[in-house]
Amino acid sequence: MKKLLENRNLSGWLMVSPLAIVLLVFLLMPIILIVIVSFWRATEFSIIPAFEFDNYEFLFGSSVTYKVFFNTFKYALITWACTLVIGFTVAYYLAFHIRSLTWQVALFLVCTIPFLTSNIIRMISWIPFLGRNGIANSTLMSWGVIDEPLEWLLFSDFSVILAFVHLYTLFMVVPIFNTMMRIDKSLIEAARDAGANGAQILWNVVIPLTKPGIMIGTIFVVTLVMGDFITVRFMSGSQSANVGRLISNDIALLQYPSASATAIVLLATVLITIGILLRFVDIRKEL
Amino acid sequence: MEPRSRSFYILSAFFGLFVLFLYGPTLTIGILSFQGEGGGLTFPMRGVSLYWFYDLFEQQAVGDIWGSFRRSIVLGLMVMVTTVVVSVTGGLAFRKKFLGSGILFYLIITALVIPSILVSLGVGLLFSQSGLNVHWSTSGFGAQLTWTLPFGLLIMFAVFNRFDKSYEEAARDLGASPWQTIRYVVLPIIAPSLIGVALFGFTLSYDEFARTLLTAGSYNTLPLEIYGMTTNVTSPVLYALGTLTTLFSLLIIGAFLTLALLSNRRKARAGSDAGRAV
Amino acid sequence: MTKFTSRAGLSRRTLLKGAASTAITAGATSLGAPMLWAQNIKDITIRQFGTGVSNLNEVATQVKEDLGFTLEMTALDTDSVTQRAATQPNSFDIADIEYFICKKVWAAGNLQAMDTSKLANYDKIVGIFRDGKLTPESKIAQGTAPHTVGFTSGQNGTDFVQEESGWMTLIPTIYNADTLGIRPDLIGRPINNWSELLNPEFKGKASILDISSIGIMDMAMVVESMGEYTYPDKGNMTKEEIDMTIGIFTEAKNNGQFRAFWKSFDESVNLMASGEVVIQSMWSPAITAVKSQGIPCVYQPLEEGYRSWGGGLGISAALSGIELDAAYEYINWYLSGWVGGFLMRQGYYSAVPETSKAFMSENEWGFWFEGKEATGDIASPFGDKLAGAGEVRDGGSFNDRMGAVACWNSVMDENQYMVRKWNEFIAA
Repeated sequence: MKKLLENRNLSGWLMVSPLAIVLLVFLLMPIILIVIVSFWRATEFSIIPAFEFDNYEFLFGSSVTYKVFFNTFKYALITWACTLVIGFTVAYYLAFHIRSLTWQVALFLVCTIPFLTSNIIRMISWIPFLGRNGIANSTLMSWGVIDEPLEWLLFSDFSVILAFVHLYTLFMVVPIFNTMMRIDKSLIEAARDAGANGAQILWNVVIPLTKPGIMIGTIFVVTLVMGDFITVRFMSGSQSANVGRLISNDIALLQYPSASATAIVLLATVLITIGILLRFVDIRKEL
Repeated sequence: MEPRSRSFYILSAFFGLFVLFLYGPTLTIGILSFQGEGGGLTFPMRGVSLYWFYDLFEQQAVGDIWGSFRRSIVLGLMVMVTTVVVSVTGGLAFRKKFLGSGILFYLIITALVIPSILVSLGVGLLFSQSGLNVHWSTSGFGAQLTWTLPFGLLIMFAVFNRFDKSYEEAARDLGASPWQTIRYVVLPIIAPSLIGVALFGFTLSYDEFARTLLTAGSYNTLPLEIYGMTTNVTSPVLYALGTLTTLFSLLIIGAFLTLALLSNRRKARAGSDAGRAV
Repeated sequence: MTKFTSRAGLSRRTLLKGAASTAITAGATSLGAPMLWAQNIKDITIRQFGTGVSNLNEVATQVKEDLGFTLEMTALDTDSVTQRAATQPNSFDIADIEYFICKKVWAAGNLQAMDTSKLANYDKIVGIFRDGKLTPESKIAQGTAPHTVGFTSGQNGTDFVQEESGWMTLIPTIYNADTLGIRPDLIGRPINNWSELLNPEFKGKASILDISSIGIMDMAMVVESMGEYTYPDKGNMTKEEIDMTIGIFTEAKNNGQFRAFWKSFDESVNLMASGEVVIQSMWSPAITAVKSQGIPCVYQPLEEGYRSWGGGLGISAALSGIELDAAYEYINWYLSGWVGGFLMRQGYYSAVPETSKAFMSENEWGFWFEGKEATGDIASPFGDKLAGAGEVRDGGSFNDRMGAVACWNSVMDENQYMVRKWNEFIAA
């Protein structure tokens, strides 16, 4: 028995088995099933086992698909750039300009509190703010900045990205802040002693050392945006679509095989994107 | 103390704007939840009242807010406990390499990055194809775990990366069994991070929407109910609910923080006791 | 059963409606085994799901009071309703669905046919749901008309039959005629045709609903009204017709004609009330809801006629024994008037208008059903004032409105193709 326990494979597997079972049943098997179903056929009310490439043919045969994938990347890229700039600046401020730990924790908590209101409620509360007769437009008009309400504030790519940035910036702040806190302050001192100015320190010392955090944040933001379907629906007034929405539309219309085919293509896209990102960072080491 | 540089003030202003941006919607919700009785979802306010908060406790025309709230709490607690236990055992196991640990690790990463609607779709299909009924406490529970477990595990990895192994070695040298080492040495040291894992587990579950969408079955969880309300309710009762859930989450966070502080203090006291004993 | 009769006895119009209440009692007693029934009734829970339109908690409260058992209501959007009816047969006892959904899911066998001989008010159900004709001389509109999917061959039938076979797929409960809703204050001129939806004048201020089976019919109404094409049968388009129809709308969408698409009742209300949209296809009670916020909004009768929809209750195939009895009991109660009155006072129509009359005031009946001028304030069941004395309902009486139906929400032979094209349209 003792010998058995010392067998590291066995004891490892014993301890890890609940995790493995959960991932097997609720992650791996569903993915496999999605792959299988993507070759099936659908009727109005049910799905029929088959092996045909119909769903993929339709998917790749439609110009809308390419447009939607392009849109998905566009949202991911713009959101990523915005969250990175904002997230980095905020993390930098908290890590290097706030000097007491208590204040750091306090300000950090201040940033997290809005994330406790339901996502959906926070999202739809942008609507009275940005609408044609909303607060933003009426304020700008009363200031005389604009004469006509700005139409593009709501139900546009702008509002979609605004909502994304609002929802996901924290996912950038946290990992960047985490890596910044681990930067040895003496390195910065040394750079300053060596005559580097603020910008040089930022560019040559802080950013390279923060890269792992940036990468982890990037992974979060990119996957969250690429997989989203509800933000795009609410904030674009259904006028734009990303892949997630294509899938959810299909599901809503009971087109499970076609939804599965799209889902598989999306999953492959996400995994490839993340695979590329992971080449730049060893997640396990950097936590 | 050196004087604050100009960049400090610029960055402070930036941070202030960021906080304003973050709080904008929360504040809009907060203000609009005090909308007068005849008011709607948008400005202008028609008077100020607590009407919608009272209304929240009345029966709504559709749905069952408090039932879904109860289910979300129960589900959140189930997910929380499971996440803590599984993350700890998983984290412990991952400290050593074992056969397949690489594959399992990539599975964890996949779980983290997989678009949530795929999990919903897949688990829903799995249950329907195997003739099982989807229910929030089975399929919904499992689907949420695929999201909370990677988070919990990543936190545990981070904790164990920083974990000083000499404590364990000392325990082993003193003749502690592996179980005793974990129970009396490892667990007490990592306890504060476990509070973090628990908090993450609970809030991620409590707010999860997409993964439960197709896996919750007949009974809605709170986010699903809220989603349903956005399609069926046009009154500020939605905002009152938002305000109340924020307050509720604040209470939870407060409770966890107090717990963390207390355990830190106890540890500090225990530490000083130990010091005296020496 | 005494409980039920005494309830009816409390009604203001019992003396006048004596015949009706006798019929209810007779229907109820014919279910048999009243003793067993009385003992177990409180333990029974019937789970119903449907859209927020009719899954209102007031109904459940009234069921508890009148029938004694518990009715659990789940309100979902139209797509989720379809999904649940098709894929989760064990999650409900009663499905409150639309007829076009019935056409999609009936063959799945998740619902069981209902014996019309057990329905006390079957004979009073309006013609639309029986032979398709409102009056003997009316023409049947295109699309999935309720009577075409309302009957099946037998208790376990999975087909549809075109005559009154005695086995109903859904028991009709609610229906209405829809048209364009407009903001007269922001448009400032008369609107008389469906084609106005794509009028460049309303660029960025129009909307259409994102529910394929309904939206495609609105599109068809617009296309015909524009004079682009006349469909042999809008309710059953060919692939080419689908491509053409959706093509016209995709072009309009890309030109920025639409402000947003909506999927649920309340989204349409919000779009209209906030002034984001000034013209859109809309449901009658949604217009009522906009009005009740004090915002001018008109349910605009159009020359080409209405697009209509109907819904009903279906019983889960899994239901049997005392629960099945309870379901019949509930459905009989549903048709006996209280719910009908409750729904009609929101602007819908009851499938058995006669019985609902007893639960509405003279003024309400005149306003909502007969299209007469209101003689006093008209309030919704929730107490909001919807109209004052002297006002007339948009579109007029029941016969004016339901008589001018041009098409029904539809599921076509090429539905599969249409759905994919629809998804492309939404994503385009």
